[in-house]
Amino acid sequence: MAPGPTESGKPPTDEIVHRRGGGHTGLYVVVAIVVVLAVILSGAYATGYLKFASKSTSSCSGPASSVVPANSGQPAPAAPSPAFHPESGQTVSGAGSTLVQPLMATWETAYTNNTLYYSGVGSTAGINDILGKTVDFGASDAPMNPTQRSLITTPGGIDTIPESAGAAVPIYNLPTVGQTLKFTGAVLAGIYLGDITNWNNSLLQVANPGVVLPNACIIVVHRSDGSGTTFVFTSFLSKENATWNQTRGFSTQPTVFPIGIGAKGNGAVTTTVKSTPYAIGYVDINYALSNGVAFGAVQNPKGNFILASLTNIASAINDSNVKFPAANGDWYNVSVLNAPGAQDYPMATLTYVLVYANLTAADVGTSPTYITHAVGEALVDVLKWMVNETEGQSYSAAAYYVPLPAWVVASDMATIGSIAKTIPP
Amino acid sequence: MDSDNPFPPPSSRRHRRAPKWADFTFLLLTGWGAVLVLALLVALFVGFYIGSQTAIHQLGFRFLTNTVWLAATDNPVLPGNVYGVEPVLVGTLLTSALALLLAIPLSMGAAIFLTQQAPLSIRGPVGQLIELLAAIPSVIYGFWGLIVLVPIMRANIEPALASGLYWTGWFSGTPTGLDVLTASVVLAVMVIPTITAISRDSMAAVPVSQKEAAISLGATDWEVTRNAVLPYARGGVFAGIILGLGRAMGETMAVTMVIGNPSYLTPYPTSLFSQYQTIASLLATRFAEYSSPLELSSLIEAGLVLLLITLAINVVARGVLSRFQRGRGVGRE
Repeated sequence: MAPGPTESGKPPTDEIVHRRGGGHTGLYVVVAIVVVLAVILSGAYATGYLKFASKSTSSCSGPASSVVPANSGQPAPAAPSPAFHPESGQTVSGAGSTLVQPLMATWETAYTNNTLYYSGVGSTAGINDILGKTVDFGASDAPMNPTQRSLITTPGGIDTIPESAGAAVPIYNLPTVGQTLKFTGAVLAGIYLGDITNWNNSLLQVANPGVVLPNACIIVVHRSDGSGTTFVFTSFLSKENATWNQTRGFSTQPTVFPIGIGAKGNGAVTTTVKSTPYAIGYVDINYALSNGVAFGAVQNPKGNFILASLTNIASAINDSNVKFPAANGDWYNVSVLNAPGAQDYPMATLTYVLVYANLTAADVGTSPTYITHAVGEALVDVLKWMVNETEGQSYSAAAYYVPLPAWVVASDMATIGSIAKTIPP
Repeated sequence: MDSDNPFPPPSSRRHRRAPKWADFTFLLLTGWGAVLVLALLVALFVGFYIGSQTAIHQLGFRFLTNTVWLAATDNPVLPGNVYGVEPVLVGTLLTSALALLLAIPLSMGAAIFLTQQAPLSIRGPVGQLIELLAAIPSVIYGFWGLIVLVPIMRANIEPALASGLYWTGWFSGTPTGLDVLTASVVLAVMVIPTITAISRDSMAAVPVSQKEAAISLGATDWEVTRNAVLPYARGGVFAGIILGLGRAMGETMAVTMVIGNPSYLTPYPTSLFSQYQTIASLLATRFAEYSSPLELSSLIEAGLVLLLITLAINVVARGVLSRFQRGRGVGRE
């Protein structure tokens, strides 16, 4: 029985002293951590690295919205999945743009000569895939840029073939506003730069007379992956706003956006905006129309506010009088933005399929063979089917895509014909 | 006489010792498993080290100090191709620390309740329920966070925090629900069952005599816990916390879904409502669309950094743990 201090006044034994002394280690550790943190934080405040925020720092002090709109929190509408169809012929695989993904899904079911397989991974990933020869065709809304073109090693290069057309539209979620909003390019640039932070900003109000805009912070949503839709949107902002042009520029990569929430793919941007009150985003028109999301009218060079529709996108493509370079040439400057017509939608875009111009040359050095004879025939067949007015293009309108004008179809057919001559024996 | 001996010697014909090759075969069968696991570990490090060579050569030490992660583009305004791990490292450490800050009090409370206070009949079922939470896949947590937690944070919790605590400077910016705070809360929810389960086990292992001695001296429930149980269970609790920290630092899917994925990272998050990235979420979002070979190599180097940090934390934890256990050994009954 260990003698305690009350027994004889002797000091406690070594055992008890040691245990008492050892029992405070945890306390010392915690105190040390708190002291270190306090030193770091106070140093940071002292040097101005961290700052106290005053209550009115942000001009955007919108009220906490406890009004939850009816459609918030719902899971994303399922991406159209290809209906089951029995394997027929060869499998032609493609990957890339999410802009064209719903149309590709429709085509997967409608095209029965062979099996078409497409996955929407974003335009940049699609370009990486065709450069790496991991897919039969890539798809991108942004043409290949000079750096990507310099990575092509196959003689003959890669052909750029427009297979559909659409447009970037600004979508928004304003529970209290029923009218269609009007945006100028400068306003969109200001929002995405972070200069315009509140929905009732005077610039927005001036463009929308008579609309009661709420006093709420704008929640900016953009793409988090390499996107052709981003390329179209930021190209437009660069043309419309000098500050954007000088400080951000245009690109497929999301680093061009200084603020905002990132979402992966057109579908995720749609879902995020749809479930976040007071959010704004940009997607292709087909996502806005098929998901019932409100989108705004955009001012074109003639000063008119145009609400995107298949008609005014088609007229924009025709009026822009764009000249295509050689199929395997540099398409980086091909643009249908800011078309000159009075009723043209300013943010129209073509979307492209990327295929090797010389399939036989593309097979050199690949093992297993990149494009076999059978796959080559199937690839040419599906490309012809896609751009044909009575076949692939006939599904466009119902899926909210713009059918290709006849002159684009003619140009595409010529390109595909040249590719057909290079099918490996 | 032989018949008097109850233990006759074994006849060499019927009781032969097993041949030596049998033992050796057994050694091989069990040993190759250990060797394989060690080889995998070495291969992991070597693979990461080789993959990051491009970044190490081109960026060197700047990789640790650069405060931006800019993809390479043909955009003349932002040509990019500059990569730094400092922001995502800060993001990883911050979200993990916040998650632990939220989780530890709750876990300790739950563990103490289950071992000290709760009626005997519910200890088993409730304990098992908590351990069930640890088995839920992380993508489910991420999905729950996205669908359920984010709207609640955005509409109710974050505005309340902003109006009450704005003076700290950590609650500025528009509450969007997709931010560092929500990610930390999701991580805390994921980490609580781990810490609770391990703490509960180590507290339950405290000898009853310790507690009885404290009670007999007139200790209250709290004093019993503080003086008799916690010192004994220190090691286990600490191990549980380190395990939780490891899980929080490596968590990918759940964090990626709720942390906002902005494209332009500031050197440190200016507010708990900022959109940010951790190393894990950066790898998840950038891996498919790296813009240049340098970015790919930088991503691998970022993964190597995470690997080394996790390893360092585990090594330090083992050191502290063994010290705890040496101290505990002295406090024997």
